[in-house]
Amino acid sequence: MSEIVSCHNAENPGITAEGNPFRNGLWKQNPVFFMVLGMCPTLAITNSVRNAVSMGFATTFVMVVSYGLISMIRKLIPKQVRIATYIAILAMAVTVVDFLVKAISIPIYLALGAYIPLIVSNCLTLERAEAYAGKQPVIKSMLDGLGMGFGFTIALTMLGAVREVLGAGTFLGVHLFGKSFEPWVLFLLPPGGFISLAMWLLLFAWWKERSAERAAIKESAPTELAVPVEARA
Amino acid sequence: MSTIVPPPAQPQPPGWRMIRLLGAVSLICGLLIVGTNLATSGRIRSNQETIMRNSVSELLPGAQKEIIYGIEPSGELKILPDLQAAGQRLFAGYDGSGKLLGVVIESSARGYADLIQAMYSYSPEKQAITGFKVVDMRETPGLGDRTRSDPDFLSNFQDLDVTIVDGKPLHPVKVVKHGSKKNPWEIDAISGATISSRAVGKLIGTSVDTVIPVVRKNLDRIEKGQ
Repeated sequence: MSEIVSCHNAENPGITAEGNPFRNGLWKQNPVFFMVLGMCPTLAITNSVRNAVSMGFATTFVMVVSYGLISMIRKLIPKQVRIATYIAILAMAVTVVDFLVKAISIPIYLALGAYIPLIVSNCLTLERAEAYAGKQPVIKSMLDGLGMGFGFTIALTMLGAVREVLGAGTFLGVHLFGKSFEPWVLFLLPPGGFISLAMWLLLFAWWKERSAERAAIKESAPTELAVPVEARA
Repeated sequence: MSTIVPPPAQPQPPGWRMIRLLGAVSLICGLLIVGTNLATSGRIRSNQETIMRNSVSELLPGAQKEIIYGIEPSGELKILPDLQAAGQRLFAGYDGSGKLLGVVIESSARGYADLIQAMYSYSPEKQAITGFKVVDMRETPGLGDRTRSDPDFLSNFQDLDVTIVDGKPLHPVKVVKHGSKKNPWEIDAISGATISSRAVGKLIGTSVDTVIPVVRKNLDRIEKGQ
């Protein structure tokens, strides 16, 4: 719960409701790499690609369903009890998904069963309900849930790939390096989650800074004097 | 003289609105959950039976025939007609010639997150546990859920000594710190998942204390398949 409360208060000025809600979540406002939300599942379950993808899809489904419902009744919800309402709806969606997965497919249930209850403790789901679905129309809210969910899945998969390859020497369970490879077990353990997340965040921060610099240079320099950016750097 | 002005009519108190909305949302969510539960419970039960049957045949490879036993409160064994019956169940597996291969016993214990439900196979001949399989659990992915998949942990149960003498286990099953297993009745815990490992130890320990003496007492019956 503390995670939900703390991240709910973190207002990020860079996050807006402008633009295509699906594309925003996918990359520009990626929940993990740019909003740094939902760190509990991000760090806990990304020690293999399969876990990461499963968790991502389950979260996506819950977000799409519950944001549709939340957006439908958004005008009826008094401001003071909105968070409690969102949590009730999210918890309902998670429970329903749990039942459905159990009934529909044994293999998916065996792969996902342990992760589904974790979704309700993911602060990303609550943050998007508060920042988007509680204010926007139904279709846009569901698209936002879909985009954020896929963005979350992509980010988890990227983390899971680094951790599985370095920590176990496998990708999706397939051995990559042969018998002589000594797995770097640290990457499967919690510290490995923090280290690989930090590496990805560093990479994206550097990339963001560089593209901002390039944009500034492009604006200030007249086109006829333009020197290849690589040469300036 | 000033007249007392009555307070203007208040709009509906917001407290009432909040309670009404939260009540309605909870009611609808509750109904949706109950509805889904009712709609899916049949499928879920048959899926769980499939998981259970698969687990039994995995734990007793080569079994051609199974008999399901239940334990009555008096401690007597009785044959159950199907899987629907609740309570402690035992699955006796026999090979083609009718020889008893082993008994699969259901057990559960509280883990880190929720109940861990598991099955293990017991060989009356070896007086040992010969296999272990988690059927359902909610343990932390990556840590506690390795009780299901970690090959090192599962190798503990290939030949776990549970010899019964005078209706009591000779050596109680014990969970020891990772890498310090010395005796055949000890379980080597998963490092980082001590609570889940201990829960598995408890799951097997309580079942060994209560169910295996019943199996030994009724071994003749089970061997004959009665």
